[in-house]
This record gives sequence, structure tokens and C-alpha cells, in this order.
Amino acid sequence: MTISRVSSVIVCHACDLAHRLDSLAGNARVRCVRCRAELYRTNDRSPDNAIALAVTALALFVLANVYPLVAMTVNGSTRMTTLIGAAEAFYEQGYGILAVLVAFTAIIVPLVQILTLLYVLVPLRLGRVIRGQNLLFRMLTALRPWGLTEVFMLGAVVALVKLSAQAEVTPQVSLVAYGLLMISIAALTSATPSEQYWRWVAGQRDPGTAP
Amino acid sequence: MTTYATGRSLGLLVCTRCRATVRAIGDKRSLCPRCEAELFVRRPHSLSTTAALVITAAVLYIPANLLPVMSTHEILSDDDDTILSGVISLAHQGSWPIALLVFFASIVVPLLKLVALGDILFAIWRGRVRNPRQRSRLFRVVEFVGRWSMLDVFALSLLASLVQIQSLALVQVRPGAFAFAAVVVLTMLAAQSFDERLLWDAETDG
Repeated sequence: MTISRVSSVIVCHACDLAHRLDSLAGNARVRCVRCRAELYRTNDRSPDNAIALAVTALALFVLANVYPLVAMTVNGSTRMTTLIGAAEAFYEQGYGILAVLVAFTAIIVPLVQILTLLYVLVPLRLGRVIRGQNLLFRMLTALRPWGLTEVFMLGAVVALVKLSAQAEVTPQVSLVAYGLLMISIAALTSATPSEQYWRWVAGQRDPGTAP
Repeated sequence: MTTYATGRSLGLLVCTRCRATVRAIGDKRSLCPRCEAELFVRRPHSLSTTAALVITAAVLYIPANLLPVMSTHEILSDDDDTILSGVISLAHQGSWPIALLVFFASIVVPLLKLVALGDILFAIWRGRVRNPRQRSRLFRVVEFVGRWSMLDVFALSLLASLVQIQSLALVQVRPGAFAFAAVVVLTMLAAQSFDERLLWDAETDG
């Protein structure tokens, strides 16, 4: 059995059309001529940009989890909830699976995304090869569709609107932090397209031929 | 009809994880030389996995819409709320943009996903995909908007955690919420397990 990478042809993952590839541009977004799927995207930057975004996102993640999310005042008494409190409410009412679903998509996946990128990119930047970096990056690409920060944010808006008719609701620090977290994760995702990551790895293994 | 050079006709594979193009001769089960993910010509059992997930989701779509997702006491009103009645009460409240948003995310999008995936699967199953271009566009729309259906689940989690007095829950989660969340997750999994290349195989073979 022989397996080898081909560099002169790129096959579309969505429609299987083969494209001849004359040169790989450093900063490009290439689409399939038949089905318009994005074949690859690169940004030609160093990992520094992505590392900075990941650190920012991590700080915002901490803020979003430490402070209260929303406060509600009815008849003079105030009740606050936190990010994890939202998942907990499902658990307390006997819907453990829904609690796991909310915690997973709104809290765990975003955190794993940030930590995985830091764990993979920082050694890469320092020129070290670490164990399991390919496995981790593959896991990250599989997890990305399950990070639902932007959906949670809009869900919070819907909940606020629903309650505002009957009670006085005020967004708290965590909601603002979460909104910024959502933006930084979106920026982080667009700063680390898969193809770019593999180029960083290739450049690290063989600096002479780095594209 | 134009004939296209495809990966399959040239004996080339594309890694579904890192999208490296690979020449693999011999055994079909092999690992990507770049990212070490498993390589395959087409995702194994894609059609049957997707079909099973779509059918399960379609069945659950009924209780998801008929059963109450929550019941409220005192503060909001004293009522059982289904997904649809939640939208209606938002509209009554005068929050039209939010009501429309929830209507699309919770009712239209899951239905669109089920119909679109069902149509795609049926067309492939009959072996005639007449317009793969439109169907692949439809599939991508479905894949892109699918996640937004989780909106109501998140909103409900916040309502349930906020509207309590001394740990006595005034917003009670009801079984409809479970069915609804299952529809969202199952349709997301269905879209992920579908190998889009199946839409185009008929065109190049024919």
C-alpha cells in the first residue's frame, strides 16, 4: 500500500472535482469551480496573531464564568444567575442530558477550543514539536461546529425580552464578557484555518521550504 | 454533457479532516500522511447513517412541537407553553422581531432541515440527482443555519434558572424541551454525517 501527498492537484472535498494547482498563494481563499465549496484558506501570518486572540478569549472566558450573567428584580427581591447556573437549572429539574448539552455547547467546547489552540500554537511558535498536536488539531476541527457561543448569546437576548414584560431584568458583567468572548472566538476561528495550521507545521518541520 | 476529472477518476483521495489531496494505491483503509485521520473514498455508511438520523429527528419533531416545553406559574402567567405558544406570547408582548426570530429558528429551520435532507436522501436513493448544484447549495444553507435552533433551549435554560423563589422553580421544564433539543442535535449530526460528494457522483458517472 502506498500513500503519498499530491501537490499539483487539489480535489474538492465536497464534489470530488480535481483542480490543477499551479502555485499555492500565501494569502488566499480558493473555491471549487464547480460547487463553490471553499477548498482552502490561508492568511500568511505567523501564529502570534492567533495566540494573542486565544489569550484574550481565555481572559474573557474566566470573566464570563466568574461574574453573574443576568439579574432579575421582582417585588424588590433580586435574583442572579451565572453561566453555569443556566445549565444547572436543567439538572435540578431532572433534565441532566439537557444540562450537559448546554454546558457542552456554551461552555466546554469554547474552552477546549481556546486551550487546544494555545497548547498547539505556543510550542509551534517556539519551534518545538509536541506530542499529539495533530490529533488535537483534528479534534478541534471536529468540535468547531458544536461551539455555540453566538447562539447562546442570542438565546440570552430572547430570555431577557421574555422576562422584561413581567420583571426588571438587567444584564451583568458576565453577559458583556460572553459577548466579547463570542467575538474573539469568531476571530480566533478565522485566524486559524485548517490549511494555515498545516502550513505552520510544515514550515516548522522543514523551515527552508516554508511557503 | 461535460465530463469532469474527479478525484475518483484520477485515483486521488481527499482527507475529510485536513483536506490534503492524497494518492493512495492498494488498501482502502489508510491514514492521511498529513493529519493521520482515516482516509476513505466516500464516508462509510453515509447514506444510511444520515437517513437513520433524519427519520429519528422527523419522528421527534412531532412531540417537540405538540408537547409543552415549559410550564410557568405566577410571575409570567399560569400556563403550559409549547414552542409555538412561546412565539405567540412574544408577539402578543409586542416583540415582533424577537418573535419572528424564534419562529424561524425553532419552527421553520428544523422543518426546513428535515425536508431538505429528506429530499436529498431520496434523490440519491433513486440514483438520479438532477440538479446537484441547487441541492448542494440547499445542503449548505441547512448546515449553516441548523445550529441556530438551539436558541430556544438556551433561552429556556436561563428562564428556568432565573425564575425561582428560594429554589422553588416557577418555570418548570417539560418533556417537549427534551424532544426539541433531540431534534436539533440529531439534525446537526445528520448534516455532519452526510457526504456531499454523493450528490455529485451521479452527475459524473452519467
